[in-house]
Amino acid sequence: MSEQPIRLRTLLRSRLGQWSLALFLGAVTLLSAIGLLATSGWFISAAALAGLATVAAYGFDYFRPAAIIRFFAIVRTAGRYAERLASHNAALALLKDLRTRLFARVAGQRRLIPAARSAIAMHRLVADIDLLDFFPLRFVAPWFWASVLTLLVLGWLALLDTSLALAALPGLLLAWLVVPMLGGRLAARLARRDAELAEQRREFLLDRLQLLTSLLLWQRWDDQQAAFLQQDDAWLQQRLRQQKLVSLTALGQQLGLALALLAVLWHGHALLQQGALSVPWLLAALLSVMGLAEALLPLAASFISLGFSQAARDRLNQLTAAETDLAGTATALPEQSLSLVLSGLSARMPGALNGPENVSIALQQGDVLLIEGPSGGGKSTLLQVLAGEPLAFSGERLINGQGFEHWDLRELIGYLPQQLDIFDMTLAQNLRLADPEATDEALWQVLDDVALADWVRGRKHGLNTTLGEFGAKVSGGQARRIALARLLLTRRPLLLLDEPFAGLDFDTRERVLASLLRRREQGIIVIVSHQQVAVPEARHLRIG
Amino acid sequence: MAMSVKKIKSTEIDSRTASGWLTRLLAPQASLLNLALLFALAAAGLFVWQCWLLAQLFSGWLVAWQQGGLGEAQAQLLGSLLPWLALCLILRPLLQYGREQASQLASLRARGELRRTLLQRLAALGPARAQLGADAELGSRLLEQVEALDGYISRYRVQRQLVLLVPLLLVVCTALFSPLAAVLLLLTAPLVPVFMILLGKAAASASQRQFVALARMSGRFSDLLRGSWTLRHLGALPAAEAGVETAAEHYRAGTMRVLRMAFLSGAVLELFASLAIALVALYLGLGLLGILPWAKGEIPVPYLGALFILLLAPEFYAPLRQLGADYHAKAEAEGAMTELLPLLNQQVWAHPGREPVRLSAAPRIDCHQLAIEGRLAPLDLRVQPAERVVLQGASGSGKSSLLEALLGFVPWQGELLINGRSLLDLSRPDWLRHVGYLAQQVPILHGSIADNLRLAAPTATDAELIAVLEQVALWPLIRQLPKGLETELGERGLGLSGGQLSRLALARLLLRDTPVWLLDEPTAHLDADTAELIHALLERLSQGRTLLLVSHDLQGLDWADRVVTLGQSEQRLEAADV
Repeated sequence: MSEQPIRLRTLLRSRLGQWSLALFLGAVTLLSAIGLLATSGWFISAAALAGLATVAAYGFDYFRPAAIIRFFAIVRTAGRYAERLASHNAALALLKDLRTRLFARVAGQRRLIPAARSAIAMHRLVADIDLLDFFPLRFVAPWFWASVLTLLVLGWLALLDTSLALAALPGLLLAWLVVPMLGGRLAARLARRDAELAEQRREFLLDRLQLLTSLLLWQRWDDQQAAFLQQDDAWLQQRLRQQKLVSLTALGQQLGLALALLAVLWHGHALLQQGALSVPWLLAALLSVMGLAEALLPLAASFISLGFSQAARDRLNQLTAAETDLAGTATALPEQSLSLVLSGLSARMPGALNGPENVSIALQQGDVLLIEGPSGGGKSTLLQVLAGEPLAFSGERLINGQGFEHWDLRELIGYLPQQLDIFDMTLAQNLRLADPEATDEALWQVLDDVALADWVRGRKHGLNTTLGEFGAKVSGGQARRIALARLLLTRRPLLLLDEPFAGLDFDTRERVLASLLRRREQGIIVIVSHQQVAVPEARHLRIG
Repeated sequence: MAMSVKKIKSTEIDSRTASGWLTRLLAPQASLLNLALLFALAAAGLFVWQCWLLAQLFSGWLVAWQQGGLGEAQAQLLGSLLPWLALCLILRPLLQYGREQASQLASLRARGELRRTLLQRLAALGPARAQLGADAELGSRLLEQVEALDGYISRYRVQRQLVLLVPLLLVVCTALFSPLAAVLLLLTAPLVPVFMILLGKAAASASQRQFVALARMSGRFSDLLRGSWTLRHLGALPAAEAGVETAAEHYRAGTMRVLRMAFLSGAVLELFASLAIALVALYLGLGLLGILPWAKGEIPVPYLGALFILLLAPEFYAPLRQLGADYHAKAEAEGAMTELLPLLNQQVWAHPGREPVRLSAAPRIDCHQLAIEGRLAPLDLRVQPAERVVLQGASGSGKSSLLEALLGFVPWQGELLINGRSLLDLSRPDWLRHVGYLAQQVPILHGSIADNLRLAAPTATDAELIAVLEQVALWPLIRQLPKGLETELGERGLGLSGGQLSRLALARLLLRDTPVWLLDEPTAHLDADTAELIHALLERLSQGRTLLLVSHDLQGLDWADRVVTLGQSEQRLEAADV
C-alpha cells in the first residue's frame, strides 16, 4: 500500500484508460454539437444560393450535407450518453480506489482509541473523499474539452482563411484562458476559505446545541444563537461571493465570445468583399464560434471545484499524515514462560489532570493482577501503557527482560478497552474477526465462557444474529461480553481487561471470571474492575 | 433496519407537506425570484432579436453575393446592424448575470431564514428536542439539509417556469415565417411534459436507489473505520480492507446499472434537441432548393426566414436540457425538507406566563392531577420548601417529562403550582433564574475551566469560582495545574474523568445558587463508587433547596426526605426496551 500523500495530479493515473475514453467521448460530443450547427447553417445558405440560380438547384448535391447533418445529430446523442456513462464509471472506480486506499491508511495508523467526536470526523472523511472527484470531473475534463474544441475551431477558421482565425483569436483567448485564469486565482482561495468557515461554524453550532437546555436556563441562548447566526451569515456571504465570482467569470467569457463573434462578422465582411470567402462558409464559421460557448462556460466554475478538491486533499493528507504502525517490525515471541515487569512507570493521557504515578510491579506467568482505585485515577491509562498504545510515559516496562519494542505485541497482548467496537455484522462474523478459521464449536465454546451461549441459542438466527450498528441490538453488558469472547478467540497470553464485568449481575460475573481463571496458567491476566472480584492468590495494585 | 423502513414510509406520506413548506419558505422571496424570471425572459427576447439581426445581415450578404459582389449597401447594412448585435451580445450575459444574482440572493435569504426558524424551534423545544434525535445529528441536519435547498431555489425554481415560456416564445416566432417548421417543433412539444415526468421519475428513483446504496456503503465504511483500532488489534485489517473494497465495488456496479437507465431519458432529450435542428435544417434547405416532394419548384420559406428559424432552433430544447441537468436539485431539496419535517411540524408550545417571580427562599411545589399527554399519568405530589425528593420509575414513566414541565418546556394538564401560584402564569425566564438543572451529560464547551463556569454566571470573580470549586473538592486538583483555572478543557471535557465532570457541573449549580434544583439522573453514567461520592456531595450542597432528583440508583441517597415512584399503575413504552 503506498504511503504517499494524495496528489490530485495522480488521481487520473490509476484509471487512465477509463478517463481517456470519457474525455475522448466528451470532446467528440461537443464537436458534433458544433458540427451540427455549422453544417446546417452552411447547408441552408448553400441551398439558398443554389436555389436562387434555379439551374444550379438540380445539380446541387444535397445528399452529402444531409447525411453529415444526420451523422452529427446521432453522434451528439449517442456521444453524450456514452460520455456520461464513461465518466461516471471512471469516477466511481476512482472513488472505490480512494476509499480502499484511505481506509488502509487511516485504519493502519497507530492512534489512541478514538474519542466521542470521531463519528463526525468519519463523516467528514467520507465527504472529503467525494470532493476529490471534483478534480477530474469538474476541472480536468472541462479544461480538456474547452482547450481541444477552441483549438479545433481556431484551426478550422484558419483553414478557411488565416486572417479570420486571427480576427477571432483575441476574443477566444479572453473566453478560453484569460478570464477563467484571472477568476481562478481568487476562486481557489475562496474555496479554501469556505471549508475553514464551514468547519468553524459547524463546531460552534454542535458545541452550543448540546448545551441548549442549560444555555436557555442561564439566559445565554439568545446571545449564543445570535453569535451562531452571525457566523452562519458570514459563511453564506462567502458562498455568495463564490457564486458571484463564477457568474462574473462566465459573464467575462461571454463578452470575450461576443468580441470574437463581432470580429468574425466584421472581418468576414471584408473577406466577402474580396471574394476570399463565401457566405455559407462565413455562416458556418460564425456558428462554430457561437457553439464554443457550451464548451467554454463550464470553465467558470472549474477553479472553485479545484479549490474544494485541494482543500479536501489537504484535510485527508493531514488526517493520514500521523505516524503509521510501527509494531509491524518486531517479530519476536517469548519462548519461556511470560513475565512482565514495570518499574517507576508514570503516564498521562493527553490533557488529563492526573494519571498513574511511579508504578512498580513484577508479574509471572499464571499471575492475575487486579487494579483498583477511584474513577479518574488513571487505571485505564496504565492499562493503555501496558497494551503498548502510543502514549507518552516515563519509567520501564519489560516483557521477559526485554523492552516492548522487541516483541511482536500483536501476537502477545489481548486488550479489552472500555470503549469497544461491535460491528454491524452477524455475531459469528464479529467473532471471526479474531480468528477467521474458527469453527462453530470454537465460537460456541467462547460464548459459553462469557455466559452468552444460552442467550445465543435462544435467538432465532443463532450465531447469525445481526448485532446492528454500534451493536445497537444488544445491551451494553452483552456487547462487552461479545468483545471479550472475541478477544479470547485470539488466545493471546497477556490479557489486559478494562472493566470486563461492567453491567453484569453477580452470577454472570462469577461465571465469566471462572472461565477467565481457567486460562490463568496460559499467561498473565490484568483486570481493572470497580466490582469486588474474588480471585485466589491474586496480586493487587491500587492506582490514584 | 426497522428504523429505515419507518423513514421511507413517512417520506411518502409527507412529501406534499415538504413541498408545502418549500412554498411557504419561498413566499417572501417571490419578488426576487420573479425578477430573476423577468431577466431570463428578457434574455430570451434578446436572443430572438439577435437571431433576427443575424438573419437580416446574412440574407443581405447572400443576395449581394449572388448578384456579383458586396457593395456600399452591404457595408451600410453591416454598419447599421452591428451596434445592435453588439448590444444583444453584451446585454444577454448581463441579464444572465442578473438572473443568477437575484436567485442566489433569494436562496441565501431563504436558507438563512429557515436556519433561524429551525434554531428557534429547537430552543422552544428545549430538552424535548431529544426525541427528534441526538444533538450532533440535529446539528448536521440544520447545517447540511438547509444547504441542500440551494440548487432548487437558485436554479431549478426559475428554470421550471422558463421551460414552458421560452419554447412557446420561439414557436410563435417560428410560426411567423414557417408554420410547418413551427409544427415540426410543436409536434415534439407535447412530449415535453411527458419527458419532464419521465425524467423526474427516473431521476428520483435513480437518486433514491443510489442514495440507499450509498448510505449502505458509507455505513460499512465508517463502521469499519470507526472500529479500526479493534480491527488492528485483532489482526483483522486485511479482511476489513477487502470488505471495504467489495462494498465500494458493489456500489459502483449497482450505481452503473441504475445510471444506464437514468441517463437514457437524458439521451432521448438530447436526441430530440438534435433532431429539432437536423429536421428543421433539412426541411428548410430542401425547401430553398425547391425540391421538397410536396412543393417542387417552390421555395416555401425564403432564406431570411429560414436562417432565422435555424438560429432559433437550438434554443428550443435548451431550457429543458438545463432543467434535466438541475433535476437532481429538486429531488435533493425535497429529500432535505422531508428530513427537516419532524422538526418543522413539531408542535411547539409557548409558555404563556408573564408575571414576575421573586423567590427569597426555597419554594413549595404542588402538582394536582398533573398529566402530560402520553408521557406522564396524572400525578399528585406536594414538595415542601427545601424538601429533597428522589423520583424513581420505569423508563417511560415520565420522570424526565415532569422535570421538563417544571422547566416550562412542555404543556400539561392539571395544576402545577409554585408557592401556590400557577406556573402557567409565571414568566418562564424569571422562573428559570431560580432553577438549577443538570442532566446526564455535563454541558461543556471548548474553553477553559473558568470560561465554562462563567457560562452560567458571567460576572463571577475568580474568588467566587475558587470558592465553589472548593465546595465540590475540585480546587485542590485544579490548583496544582500549571494554568489553574485557565486550563483548557478538550472536547466534551476531555481530560476530566466522569466524576470530575460531575463535580464541575455541581460547582456551576452552586455558582448560580438557585433555590430549586432539578437533577435528571446526574450520576447515571458514573460507576457505583463515584456515583456514591457525588450523592454524598449532593447531600451537603443541596441543603436548603427544593430538590427533585431523578435517579435509578438509591445507593448513597438515604439522606433524601422521600422517594416517589412514578407510573406504577401505568406501564408504557416498555416494549421499546425489549
